[in-house]
Amino acid sequence: MKDLKHLIRMENLLQQANNELVQEAKEEGRKALGYTCYFMPEVLLDLPGCFSVRLRAPNCTTPVMATYYMSGRTCHYGRSLMERALEGGFNFLDAQMATETCTVTCRFQEHLQRMDIIQNPDFFVEFMDVPFKKTENSLLHYRKQLQAHVLDKLHEKFGIDTSDEALMKAIQQHNEVCRLITEIGSYRKLDIPTITGYEFAVIQLTTLTCPKDKILPMLRETAEELKTRKPDAKPTWKVKLALAGAENDDPDFTKLIESCGAIVVADRYCYGSLPGREEIVVQEGETPLEAIARHYLITSCCPRFMPQDIMRARKKYLADVCREYNADGLIVESNKFCEYWSYERTIDALVIPRDFDIPTCSIEKEYINSASGQLRTRFQAFVESVELKKLHKEPAAKEEPTLKEMVESRIEEKVEQIEDHIDDRLVKVENKISDIEEKRQGVKGVIEEKVEQIEDHIGDQLVKVETAISDFEEKRQEVKETIKKKGQRKTRSER
Amino acid sequence: MRALLKTLKILFFLCTGLYIILFIVFFFDLDGKALFYGVEPFLSNHYDRMKRKDPLEKIYRTDTPNYEYND
Amino acid sequence: MSEKKTYTRQDVMNKVKSLASDFWNGKPHEERRLGDLYVDKTGLYKHREWRGFRDTMYYFNMIWLYNYGHMVGDIMKYGGGLKGPILFAKGVWRYRWLGQSYLPVMHWFDRGLEGMRGEGLRASAWHYRAMVSETIRQFMRMLQADQNLGGDPEIWKKTLAHDETVWGGIFYPWRDRIDDVPLQMIPYFVTCHVNNHVVLNYIDAAQSIGLPGDPCPMCQAEAGIFILDDVPDYFPAVVTSNEACDGSVGTSVLQDWMMNKPLFAMPQPMQFDDPLVQEHCAREIEECWKFIEEQTGETFSWDELVKHLERQNELQRFEWEKWEVAANTDYYPINGVSQALYRIYQSQDGDRDIWHETDERVRKILEKCVENKINSYPLTRHRVIAWSCAPLYYSHWCTWAYNCWGLNCIINMDSLMFDMTIRTDTYENTLQDMALYHEWAPMRRMAVGGMHHIFELWEYMEKFHCDMVMMYDQLQCKGMQGVHGLFEDEFRARNIHAIWMPHALPDKRTVSRSEIRSIVNDYMTTIMHEEPLDPTLLEFDDSEGW
Repeated sequence: MKDLKHLIRMENLLQQANNELVQEAKEEGRKALGYTCYFMPEVLLDLPGCFSVRLRAPNCTTPVMATYYMSGRTCHYGRSLMERALEGGFNFLDAQMATETCTVTCRFQEHLQRMDIIQNPDFFVEFMDVPFKKTENSLLHYRKQLQAHVLDKLHEKFGIDTSDEALMKAIQQHNEVCRLITEIGSYRKLDIPTITGYEFAVIQLTTLTCPKDKILPMLRETAEELKTRKPDAKPTWKVKLALAGAENDDPDFTKLIESCGAIVVADRYCYGSLPGREEIVVQEGETPLEAIARHYLITSCCPRFMPQDIMRARKKYLADVCREYNADGLIVESNKFCEYWSYERTIDALVIPRDFDIPTCSIEKEYINSASGQLRTRFQAFVESVELKKLHKEPAAKEEPTLKEMVESRIEEKVEQIEDHIDDRLVKVENKISDIEEKRQGVKGVIEEKVEQIEDHIGDQLVKVETAISDFEEKRQEVKETIKKKGQRKTRSER
Repeated sequence: MRALLKTLKILFFLCTGLYIILFIVFFFDLDGKALFYGVEPFLSNHYDRMKRKDPLEKIYRTDTPNYEYND
Repeated sequence: MSEKKTYTRQDVMNKVKSLASDFWNGKPHEERRLGDLYVDKTGLYKHREWRGFRDTMYYFNMIWLYNYGHMVGDIMKYGGGLKGPILFAKGVWRYRWLGQSYLPVMHWFDRGLEGMRGEGLRASAWHYRAMVSETIRQFMRMLQADQNLGGDPEIWKKTLAHDETVWGGIFYPWRDRIDDVPLQMIPYFVTCHVNNHVVLNYIDAAQSIGLPGDPCPMCQAEAGIFILDDVPDYFPAVVTSNEACDGSVGTSVLQDWMMNKPLFAMPQPMQFDDPLVQEHCAREIEECWKFIEEQTGETFSWDELVKHLERQNELQRFEWEKWEVAANTDYYPINGVSQALYRIYQSQDGDRDIWHETDERVRKILEKCVENKINSYPLTRHRVIAWSCAPLYYSHWCTWAYNCWGLNCIINMDSLMFDMTIRTDTYENTLQDMALYHEWAPMRRMAVGGMHHIFELWEYMEKFHCDMVMMYDQLQCKGMQGVHGLFEDEFRARNIHAIWMPHALPDKRTVSRSEIRSIVNDYMTTIMHEEPLDPTLLEFDDSEGW
């Protein structure tokens, strides 16, 4: 496919947290607000006067200093963020808007709070509590937390306008990003998608890590470009896969999957767009903050939610995503030491193939996947198995036959095969007979000819013999007459 | 009276005998040894061989109710 | 040429006196050689320790015989008379956690009470006795209701299950009609302490379905019990929580699948210092109460709630008295392991008769110790505070550490989790306090809601006059691993002697008891330059022990 115009620039923007667009925004006097989790609504951090940066630590493979503080037995993502902070990579931050939603990222943010790591005198960390349910009580609690620990803090510390009008403006901008990402992402649903999983991951990540207003022009152009983008004449992939799981902000992971003969068509993981890029709808009689709280609580599919119906609905959501995006299979990944996803991944790998008939590959990965050889082998094997299953499925996408139907169809198949075989043999035998007849006729003709020839020959020879006999008879008569004549002369002379 | 005294005497000796036996069991940790070398291996073996249901075969229903109470 | 040793009459007299003293009082601490009593590898004794006539007879009569007797008596008491032993036998035959861990109970006493004498022995043993009794009460209720064993459906209807980390107090309003039995308290938690072989089966089962080995092994084991189909079917509905970590949340998904029963999730909020959180949590408790009413058909009783809360407050007040003695005197008779296990069990379980009976007995011993200035741990060299979560397979390390090195574990983090009484004057106040108590769940109050909680260590060190920290290093606890470096920095900055004790909660295969002892030994010799009180305890092999 033709290269996307902004892809390389976007890739470059992902090389460091403090990228050129972040720097531009900071130069304009806006406050950079870091966060790590979907439960911290980015739309609130994108109010006029500030902007959100979802933290990443690209290219961090060996977090040595962070391992001293957080040991080597905690999630690599949390440690990598800590390492980047200790290296000074997050000094551009004015505040960290924190959530205690998973243990290790919480510990990372607590280190920011306790230690003097961020070299910015005004820097502060603010924590909020996030409920584990989606009930009315939880919703109310969540909204109060957002008000107290996000909006009030931003207003108090930076004088940010947090009025409903300002919130509506932020929602509008946020919704435009969501609309564009959804539009761009929808090309993954095509029979032959016109955007790869890697390209989409890069685009999606830039919307999380760059000021929205700065990235929007590139998004608009990309969306336009995709309207006319033609797929490759011959696809380079064999199967379509959905990718689900824990924190993943590494587009190269998607690229790795796609280098094994697959295309990633859906991204249901932390930092992905499913869920995450649905538009926020402010319903009648609802304040913008209420709408935001409801939106983030209801759309989230985090394994942190504990009510029975929500825990179980997550599996169905995953299956629905696979169906909507026509995925042939599913990869569920979790970062090593991530407890939520260790369990979720294990259960997904047991339930999804069994109850939803979707082939599923369960993978444990690192934050940055330097050991890609092993993963590649796993992905290649999975792609092959999905491809085989797909080939078997293609003739009829009907329901699974019963055992009786299977036996009957197998018998029919066998009978057909035997009949075909007998027919084949019959034709062959007939051909043989006709061949023999032909040959017989041929031999007969040859014999007759030969007999004729022999007869002719004999006839000729007979004629010749007769001629010779008659010649001989003539000669004998002549000799006889000569002898007679000579005898008569002698007698005459004797006399 | 004599029979009663005799019975009490027998009872006393029986109880004393039992007490002494129990003290020997206690002091030489014979209870621990019997459990460690005899009972536990037997039970462990039994549990290892026991037929169990496979809970992974249970249906994972997705139509459970929402237990929420707002009134 | 060897010198021929001659004995004077005085020598003989001295020897006889010494033997008589040993017989009557037991050997002095430094001459006990407790390590020589072990049968190699097994943790069994060649013979049990002679603690002196009075203490040996006390141990034999009031601990060994008394508890064996009560273990039978309690089965009958809580199992409906003579039916109890039959039901118990069926349970032993069906459930591994019951069969393998019930019988070696007296060895659990032995390990925790090794080397102890006098009032310390008596007070600590009463704590153990209470835990055994409450354990029997709980599992007999499970068995009576258990549909796997053909239990009584009526009892089944009147029994609710909950995560072991949901405080029993939530169910107080129904205590007169319904009983609540935690799902994992007996099959997992108690089992680990009594016989650490059992839990390994459950951990392996969890990993056999594809779960990685790195999540918290406690959560793995709790999942494994379900995977191995080793949970009695004793309840119609269940209440769960997010306690104590992310792994517990994951486990609850797996458990829900396998239980497949009405489930009410009642997670504790994380940022519990935030006043806004209390209102939310209180409403969650109220919703839970409605769920219980809906599932059981029994109505909420305010009077029952108040009655049990007030009784629980009594328990808390006595705990404060105990802390007071432990913190400010040398006369606290309860050893480290009894303090830790009894307190976490009782505070989580809530109000039960056995805790009151035990506290009454212990109060008498405590008062006697204070009045008569009896020091049950006279060879204490260091007053130790144990912080973070303890190795369940080696909770009796405190007993060993005192016998070997004179390290006296005065208090531990889990004991300090619940530090409040609950107001019963109005519904609102009660609910507000209950919410806070619920949020301060075990392994949690110091671990979440901000790092300042985990660093409350310094205040408690001061309060309990401790000069050393036994810093538990649960290798698979993400929360504690995530704060490892800061603790190192703080220990250095404050010049505090801290021994890091690595372990994997219930799984002895990760770090063995012997390795733990070796780490303590190394610290005591190389850093503290001290000599052991009993050198036979430095190294011994109990790798196959319970």
